[in-house]
Formats: sequence, C-alpha cells, structure tokens
Amino acid sequence: MALLEVKNLSIDLGEFHLRNISLTVEKKDYLAVIGPTGSGKSVLLEAIAGFYPTKAGRIILDGRDITTLPPEKRGISIVYQDFMLFPHLNVFDNIAFGLRKITSSKVEIEREVKTIAEKLHIDHIFHRKVSTLSGGEKQRVAIARALVVRPRILLMDEPFSALDEKTRENLRAIVKKAVREYDTIHDTAVVHVTHDFEDVFALANKVVVMNAGKVVQIGTVEDIFCKPTSDFVADFVGTNFVRGKVLESSDITAVRVGNVVIYTTDVAKPGIEVTLSIRPEAIILARELGESSAQNILPARVMKIRKRGHLLWLILDVDGLMLRAVITPNAAELLGIKEGVKLYTMFKASNVRVVG
Amino acid sequence: MERLNFRILTISVAFLFTFFLFATIATLFFLQKPNEIIKALKSDEMIFSLKLSLLTAFLSTILVILTGILIGYALSRFDFPGKSIVKSILDLPMAFPELVLGLALLLLFGSTPIGNALSNLGIRIVFTKLGIVVAQFFTALPYAVREIYAAFEEINPRYELVARSLGYTEFETFRKVTLPMAKNGLLASTVISFARSIGAFGAVLILAGGNYMNTEVLPITLYLNISYGNVGMAITSGIVLVVISFAAILSLEKLGERNGPVRS
Repeated sequence: MALLEVKNLSIDLGEFHLRNISLTVEKKDYLAVIGPTGSGKSVLLEAIAGFYPTKAGRIILDGRDITTLPPEKRGISIVYQDFMLFPHLNVFDNIAFGLRKITSSKVEIEREVKTIAEKLHIDHIFHRKVSTLSGGEKQRVAIARALVVRPRILLMDEPFSALDEKTRENLRAIVKKAVREYDTIHDTAVVHVTHDFEDVFALANKVVVMNAGKVVQIGTVEDIFCKPTSDFVADFVGTNFVRGKVLESSDITAVRVGNVVIYTTDVAKPGIEVTLSIRPEAIILARELGESSAQNILPARVMKIRKRGHLLWLILDVDGLMLRAVITPNAAELLGIKEGVKLYTMFKASNVRVVG
Repeated sequence: MERLNFRILTISVAFLFTFFLFATIATLFFLQKPNEIIKALKSDEMIFSLKLSLLTAFLSTILVILTGILIGYALSRFDFPGKSIVKSILDLPMAFPELVLGLALLLLFGSTPIGNALSNLGIRIVFTKLGIVVAQFFTALPYAVREIYAAFEEINPRYELVARSLGYTEFETFRKVTLPMAKNGLLASTVISFARSIGAFGAVLILAGGNYMNTEVLPITLYLNISYGNVGMAITSGIVLVVISFAAILSLEKLGERNGPVRS
C-alpha cells in the first residue's frame, strides 16, 4: 500500500490554482519536487500538510482519507526555507515543541530530543537562543523539531536555499543520514521542494516536475533527467543528463552510456552506475572530422531544430542517445544544419561532470 | 547656499518647537510652589480623582487589550465578508471628535432599546462610574486594535502552520506561538491604551457627566477646577497626568529592553 496518494487534487487560491494533481509516495521514498518559480511546488506541499481547503480530489495517507483533516491531526511535519524557529523558545524547547503534545513525561521528552539532536549534531546547543544560531544550525534545529514527533511524512520547502554552498553540502549529508536512519525505523517518506538539482541527485529517488499548477512529469531521477517526456521538462532540465556504467577510471574515466562510451575527467569507481551532465553549449558540431583536443568525438544525426530566442536548440541522436546542443543561426547556416543531417559532436572530457 | 539656508530653517523650527514644548511642561511644573502642589495632592478631591482614574483606566485597559487581541487577530488572519467595512469603522473614532463620540454613546446608552435593555439588567452607564470605563474603552480601542493588528501582521503565518503541523490546534497555536511572539506589540498597545484611557476627557465628560467627587477623573478635575478659577488644583492634576504618562512610557521602554527584540 502506498504511504501517500494524492488523487486529482485541485486547489483554488484566487490568483493561483493547483490543477488535477495526482501522485503517489511509497514508504521510504525521497520525492523531489522541481519546477519554475510560481509553478505551485510550495502550495502542493502546504496542501499535503492541510493548510488549504481542497476544491476537488482526495489525499490518502496510510489508506486513510485525510482530505478534510486539520493539519494537527495528519502526522505530517514541515520544514521551511527560512527555518520558522519560535524566537521565544530556546533550541531545546523548539525541538521539544511538538513532543509536548504527545507526552508529558520529562524523561521521555529529554531522551527523544537528545536522540534526534545527536543525529543532527546539535546536542551541544540546547540552551542557545535561536537568534544566535548560524543558518545551518537553525535548519538542523528545524529538521530535528519536525522529525522528533515521528511524522508519517516529512515535507521540506527549499530547506537548503538560504544557506551557503559549503553548509548546504554538509547539511545534505547530515540530512541524508538522519532521514535514512529514521526511514528504516519508522517507514516514513520525504517530499522535498527544491530548485537545486544537486539536492535531487544527492537525496531523491523520485522526482515530480511541476509547471503552472500541474504535474508535467513524475518518475525516477533517471527518467526526468535522461528521458524527459516533454519539451518543457527537457528545457527546464536544460543540461544533458545521461546515465551509464563506469568502465575504467585512471587518468580519465570512461563511462558506457547505451551504445557509446563517454569520457570524463571526474573520478568514479569502476563498475558503478553514474549520472553524467554535459552542458548543451559545451557540445561542438562539425561536418567533418579534423584534429581536435576533445576526447569525446561521436557521430550524430540532427533530429529536431527549435528556435529559442536568438539561438537554435538541436536534439541530436548519438547512436540512440539523445543529446541537446545549442548553436547560433550563423553557425547553423555555415554547417548547413537541417533536420536529418549527419555530423560529428565533440566535447572535452573536462566538460563532462559526474553528478550522482 | 540655498540648501544651507533651508537646512538652517528646518533645524531652527525643530529647536524652536522643542523649546516651546519644554517651556510648556516646565511652566506646568515650576509655576506652582512645591508646598502648594503637595497640599493639592493631599486634598480629598485629588485623592478621589487619582484613585478613580487609576481604577477606571486599569479596567478599561484590560478590556481594551482583550477585545483588541480578538479583533486584531481576526483582521490579521482571516478573510471574511465585510472585513474592510469593519476595519474602516474601527478606525473611525480616531478621526472622530471625542465630544461627538461621547454624545453618540450618551444617546446609544440612553433611551434606545439597547440602553433600556441594559438598564433592565441593572447595568447603568449614563452618568455613572461604569460610564467612565465605557467612554475610555471606546476612546482607546481603535488605537489598541491598530497596534495589535500590526503586531500580528508582523508574524509570518508559517510559524503558526509549523505549530499546527506539530499537533497544536488553532487556539493552542494562538496561545503558544502567536501571543508570545506578539508580546512587544501587546506591551506597547497596553501602554498606549492606558495613556489614552487615563487622559480621555470629552467622551468621559459627556457620557459620565463629570460630577464632583462622583464621576470625577483627573482630566475632569483639571477642567472643573479651571472653571472655578482654582488654578492650583488644575495644575496639580495636570502634573499628575503628565507624570503617569511618562511613567507608562518609561516602563514600556524598560520592559522592551529586558525582552529584547523578538526575532528568529
């Protein structure tokens, strides 16, 4: 049985609508929700939490219809980008806030708060005022406060966006570990709204792409990034993402992706599956083979040409692998590029990144 | 050059006005000999008036804050039909001459069905001490609602949503999160309400009557004594009013310092 089922959910907020949203979250899933600003990601999250009345559709949690249940009866916790720590309470009381509704036993509260705080490395700051904490500490307190009540689902709305890159990376690792340990014991799931693809690669096993209040694609990370089903998702994802198996890794790493081998300067363990990213503008096109410093030289065929602003986006079939490249109209004319034309794609190994 | 002259002009006006204000307060304090002030302070009338002022202002402040919290919360957190009308009408007494407010209250609680119903229940408002509280309440409430509304507006509703998701009902969230977070605004509105209540004159005079040693609060003492030509008593009640207002403002600042800014 699915942990959470959202069925044909519609929400009307005056100027903004969620339309006919359906998705399923299984136990232990880590679902990333991505999409452009204003696509309804946060509204979807808050709707699952029960903050908006639904116009149509149902939300089922653990087989129970919770569509009309108030937030406090759902067992769903939420973590926001800007922490929302209660300023009149210290760190300990912030974490213990929800627990106090569950138990009045001081010993139990202390034990539970300590356990979760240790996992998130904040057990040394219990008595600090929240206004004195760093951004990373604040977010760990917020996550501890949300997890300590053992929610069936943890919702996170851009939890790392307000933090600097280093803190973000560090926190991702801590959260991943804490959530995984927590998942194993409590069969919970995470729904994480983000605009940072690093979050998706580091944490998620499933992705929902939203646009204009609707779900446009839902699938595994590989589905979304390597096999987008619409122009919108392909454009939104932008970068080429491909998945393959590492063949060998010495000075340079060779990865088999379908029928072709792609070289990257990033290091990866032989035998494992990795996702590679290649920026569309890093792909050079040529009609004939000449001498080149590019390690990756692959024959391709132009499948589609689309105009986007001043530039042309090409969809290339590289022996079964679909890659996007971007060129200027001048270059296209010079090379005589039309749909169906065969040419060569070249890109440097240093332009290929291992992202997950 | 022109800019410099303009600067001198603005600063001079600021200084001049401050000087006059200071001179006004100084006159109040120093025109009268200290022993005469003490004598006036010890008079039965002054003691009665001071006691009644403190009691009524204290009561109306409590009522104003309780009502203001409910109204401020409703206006800040909920959308309901007629919300903008409620907001405008609540603001009305601020632009309304106090005397007219008093007159309207006098008429309302006089021989209208509402006044009659209350008087059948044994509640008499016109020309009574209760009338003082009612007049003070209506004078101070709009100011308190404004302040409390602003305090609630400053709190991101997401704090409340987090509390709800952690198992707290709407009312529990209000008690455990919203109210404590609005503490500074509530303190400020308490002081403003108290100052407005204790200084309320026009509405109090019309509704409660301003009877000597009966419905006599400090502003009424000032007014009655100045009418009789009893300047000493009038000045003394003025001094007492100013001192109470200063004390209220100072205590607010002290409380504010101790609590510190409430921020996450």
